[in-house]
Amino acid sequence: MPKFKFSPKDILYNQIRLYPKTEFLIYSGTTFYNQRAPVSGTAVDDVPHVPNGYVSLYELNVDRPSTAMIYPFITKGGSLSSFSTVSTTNFNSDFAYGDILSGSYPLSSSITRQHYAAGFTDLDSGGRNYRKRIEALRNTIEFYSNVSKHFMVSSSASGRDLAAVEMNMIDIPSIFFGSNIDKGTIDLKFYITGTLVARAQDLYRNGEIVVTEPASSTETVVGLALYNEGFIILTSSTAITTEFQDDYLGTGVVQNPTWNYFGSTGSAATPIHSSSYTIEFSGSTTSPTLTMFAHARRGMLNFSNNPTYIKYSSSGSVDEELAITASNMYLESDKKYIANTISSSYSQAEEPFEKQTFISRIGIYDDDDNLIAIAKMATPIRKKESDEYTFKLKLDI
Amino acid sequence: MATTFKTFSNNDKTSTRTMLHEAIPLTGTIVSGTYNEENIKNYSHGMFQSVYDYPYLSSSANHILDITYGISKDSAYSSSTTVQQEKKLNIYNQMAQVLVGYDATGSIRLFDEDGNFAAGGATIDEAWFFNFSRLLTKDEIKKGSFEMTFLTGGAATDAVKGESGAELTIGDTGSANDYRVNSPAGEYGILYTKSSGSTGAFSDGYDGYPCGMIYYQAGIAVLTASIFNNLHVPSNVGAENWVGLDAGPAAVGSGSCQGLMTGSEISGGVEGVRDRIKNISFSNTTELNSTIHFCRANHNEFNYSANPTYLSASQIVVKDKAADSPVAYVTTIGLYAPDNELLAVAKLSEPIRKDPTTELTFRVRLDY
Repeated sequence: MPKFKFSPKDILYNQIRLYPKTEFLIYSGTTFYNQRAPVSGTAVDDVPHVPNGYVSLYELNVDRPSTAMIYPFITKGGSLSSFSTVSTTNFNSDFAYGDILSGSYPLSSSITRQHYAAGFTDLDSGGRNYRKRIEALRNTIEFYSNVSKHFMVSSSASGRDLAAVEMNMIDIPSIFFGSNIDKGTIDLKFYITGTLVARAQDLYRNGEIVVTEPASSTETVVGLALYNEGFIILTSSTAITTEFQDDYLGTGVVQNPTWNYFGSTGSAATPIHSSSYTIEFSGSTTSPTLTMFAHARRGMLNFSNNPTYIKYSSSGSVDEELAITASNMYLESDKKYIANTISSSYSQAEEPFEKQTFISRIGIYDDDDNLIAIAKMATPIRKKESDEYTFKLKLDI
Repeated sequence: MATTFKTFSNNDKTSTRTMLHEAIPLTGTIVSGTYNEENIKNYSHGMFQSVYDYPYLSSSANHILDITYGISKDSAYSSSTTVQQEKKLNIYNQMAQVLVGYDATGSIRLFDEDGNFAAGGATIDEAWFFNFSRLLTKDEIKKGSFEMTFLTGGAATDAVKGESGAELTIGDTGSANDYRVNSPAGEYGILYTKSSGSTGAFSDGYDGYPCGMIYYQAGIAVLTASIFNNLHVPSNVGAENWVGLDAGPAAVGSGSCQGLMTGSEISGGVEGVRDRIKNISFSNTTELNSTIHFCRANHNEFNYSANPTYLSASQIVVKDKAADSPVAYVTTIGLYAPDNELLAVAKLSEPIRKDPTTELTFRVRLDY
C-alpha cells in the first residue's frame, strides 16, 4: 500500500459556525424545551429523569428506577481529584485515602427566572442595600455600556437603577446556546389566552430588547440582553394591556400583564393558565474542522494487494502459479498475471487488458506510521492509469 | 495582557492521572425487553441483536449492548450447524482475530479458557459475545467489577426467576490484580462462575470455573456456550451441582444449547439467552489526565500592573505616597507556548493582593 505525504497546501484548518435555534414555551407551570412534550416511562413520569424543560447531561438514566441509577464515583488518591460538590474542607477531613466519593446523575439544567419587586433585597455588613446578582453582574453589564446607555446599572440617562427597580431576570445556561446567543435572534412573545398580545426583540443587535408588538408601543426599550453570558433582564412595569389581569405574583392579587411578569407561572399551588410565553433565540457554536486533500495522481495507485487482483488459474497450470513451495524453498512466480477486470459491452468478448483499481478507503497515518483515521467511500471509485482524482477528507475536531 | 513572562522549570510542572468511574447496573428487564421488544433491534444481516435502554425509535434511547454468538471451525457444533453456518463461523473468526489475534503460523487463535496459549489447555470453541456500548464502557471497564447473573432452569419464567438458587452468576473476581495482557485488544480478565448452587468455594475468586473473558478496553464479554449446557460440567463443581441452562432457552425450546446454536438463527438464539439475563453490572473508567503548573510569584515579581487603571496622572493609584510599596492584584494567569502564543488562561475566583512582602504560588491544573 503506497503512502504519500500531505503537502502544506493539502491541509486546511477551518471553523464551522453553527446557530442552533432554541425555543422555550412556558405554560401553566411547565416549561417546554424545543416543543418537547413529557414522555412517561415505565419507571418514571418523565423518561430522561429530569422535569420537562430541562436537559439531562449525558442522558444516561433513561427510564430507570431510582434503585438502579448510573452514578459516578471516584477513589480519593494522590492526585487529590474530587467532585466540585465536595468542598476542600470536607475532602480533607471526611475522606481518607482509598475512600470512595460518589456523585449522582442526572445533572440537569434549565432556564431560571427571578422576579425582583421594587426595592433592595440584600443588606451587607456595612449597611449598604444591594442585590447580590446585580452586584455580581455589575461589571459585566457596564462593560457593554459603550453599545447602549441602557447597560449602565444605575444612570440618569436610562432613568432607572437595576439595583432597586422592579425587574425580571431570565438566566439561560450556556448549554442551550454554546459560545454566545446570536445577536438579533432574541424573540420574546407574551400570549394571553392563546393570543399574542406583546412581542419584544433585540432588533438592533445591540442588546436592547425593544417592543415590536403591539404597534402602539414599538421601539420602547423594555430590557437588555447579555449575549455572551446568557441573561435577559426586563425592566418594564408598564401594563401591556389593561383589559386582562392575572395572579402573576402568586399572591392571590391579580395584576395587569407587564414585561416584568414575563415568564411568570403564578404560585406552584395555583399556576396561572391564561398567560403563556415563548423565548426564542439562536445560539452560536464553533466546530473546528480539518480538511485534507488526498491526491491519486495519474499513473499512480494502479496496483492492488487485494488477492483478487491477481489472476488465479482454475487448472493450476504452472505458468499461472502464484508461488512454488517446498520444504526448503519458497519461490514466487515471475509469471503472475493481473486479472483483466475491464468489462466488455459484448457477450463472450474480452476487452484489451488495462490496469484499473478500485479505491475503497483512504488511511491517514501519523509521523510514526500509526493508522489514526480511515475514510471510506460510499462506493469504490474506479481508477485507471490515465485517471487522476483528488479526495477531500473532512474531520471535525 | 501580561508584560512579564516566567519560564517553567522542571520542578514547576507535574502530571497526575485520576480514574473517574461510573457504576452501571443493567437490570434484566432492560435486556429482556420491558418495552414489548421495541428496545431490541434486529438487522437484515441477522448477525447480531442490539439492546437499547428505551424503544430505539425514540431520541431518548441509548444503545446498551450487542449480543451474538459464533462457532469455531474446530467446534463439534460446526458441521452440524444447519442455519447461518457461515455467519456463525465468520463471527467467531472476526471476534477471535480482533480479541485473540494470530499464532506464529498466521492462523487465527481460538479463545483460550485461561488465556495461557503456551500451556495449551481447553479452548472456547462456541462463544457468546456481549459487546457493550462505548457510551457505557467509556475508556475501559473497571477491572474486578464485572458481573452477570443468568436465570437457570428449564424455562425462564417468573416462577423460576423467584426460585432460590436458580441463578448463575459470572464475574471477573480477582481480576483487579490478576489480568492478562496477551491480547491485541488490550487487557482482559477471566470470568469465573460463582453460582449459589455450586459446592466449589468461589469466595476466594479462584476456585470457580473459568467460563469466559472480559476485554476491558474493548468492552466485550466472551462466554463459553458450555455454561448454557450440561455437556461441559466443570470438574471441580460436580454434575449434581451444576446449574447450567440445561434445557435450553424457552424461546427456542429445542432442548439444548447445542440445538439452539446449530439449528436456530442468531437472532432467535440471542433472544433465548437474552431472556435468561437477570442482571449485568460493572463500573466503567474514564482517565482524567492532569498537568499541574506551579506558578510562583516571588517577592520582587508581579508587583506592578499593566492595567490602564493602575496609573492616574502618572501615579500608581494604590500608592498614597512615593515611598509606599507597589501593590498589584492578580486576577488571571496565562500559560504561553515557547513562541509566546497564549495557550490557556486560568482565572482566580477573586483577585489576590501581591506586594513585595509576599510570595505566592498558584497551582494551575489543566485537565484533558
